[in-house]
Amino acid sequence: MVGIVIVSHSEQIAEGIKTLAAQMAGANQKIVAAGGMTDGSIGTDAIRISEAVATADSGDGVLVLVDLGSAIISTETAFEFLEPEVAARVVIADAPIVEGAISAAVQASIGATLAEVKAAAEMAKAMQKL
Amino acid sequence: MIQKTYTLGNKLGIHARPAAELVKLAGAYESKVTIVAGEKRADAKSLLMVMSLGAKMGQIIELTVEGPDEADAMQAFDTLIGNNFNEA
Repeated sequence: MVGIVIVSHSEQIAEGIKTLAAQMAGANQKIVAAGGMTDGSIGTDAIRISEAVATADSGDGVLVLVDLGSAIISTETAFEFLEPEVAARVVIADAPIVEGAISAAVQASIGATLAEVKAAAEMAKAMQKL
Repeated sequence: MIQKTYTLGNKLGIHARPAAELVKLAGAYESKVTIVAGEKRADAKSLLMVMSLGAKMGQIIELTVEGPDEADAMQAFDTLIGNNFNEA
C-alpha cells in the first residue's frame, strides 16, 4: 500500500490533515504527519520529513503532500537522506495539501499504485468547489 | 453489465464521507463502476470525481457495474446506498 506524508510548516496543520484524511480513508491507511520544527515552532525540517517518509514506506512507495515554499525544498533535501531504494519510490504531489491528501489517501487505501495515487491528489487542482 | 437507479435518501447527499465509502467499496471489486447524476458522470473509484457529482438528497443516481464480479459488487452497493451510507 502506498503511504502518504503530510509536510506543513505547522505541526497542527499536518496533524489535522492526517486526522481528516484517516477518517476518510480508514484506519489501515498509512498517513504520517511531518509538520513544524522539533521545538514546535513554524518551519519544515528535512530530517523529520525523511523519518516520516521511511515510516510511511511499506515497499509500494510514498506520496508527499506539501504546503508552500520551503516545504518543497526541505522535502527534496529529505529525499537525499533516504536509502536510495526508498528515495526511488517517493514523489511530491503538485496538489492542494488538504484536498490532495484526502483524495490520495482514499485512492491509496483501495490499493492504487503510486502513479494512480499521485494522479488522484493532483486531480484536486482542477476540482471546482461551487 | 448491471445497471440500477437509486434515489438518494440521506440528508446531505453524496458529500465527502459517503463518497469515500463508495470509492472504498468500488475499490474492493475488479469491476468498473460508474455513477451518473444528472449530466455528470464519475468513475466510482475516484473520490474527487464522485464528490464532484454534487449529488443531493432526493436526486436520482444511476449506477453501472461491469466486470467479472459485477453481481457481488452490485449487491454490496445496494446495501450501502439502501442504508443511506449508514447515516441519517
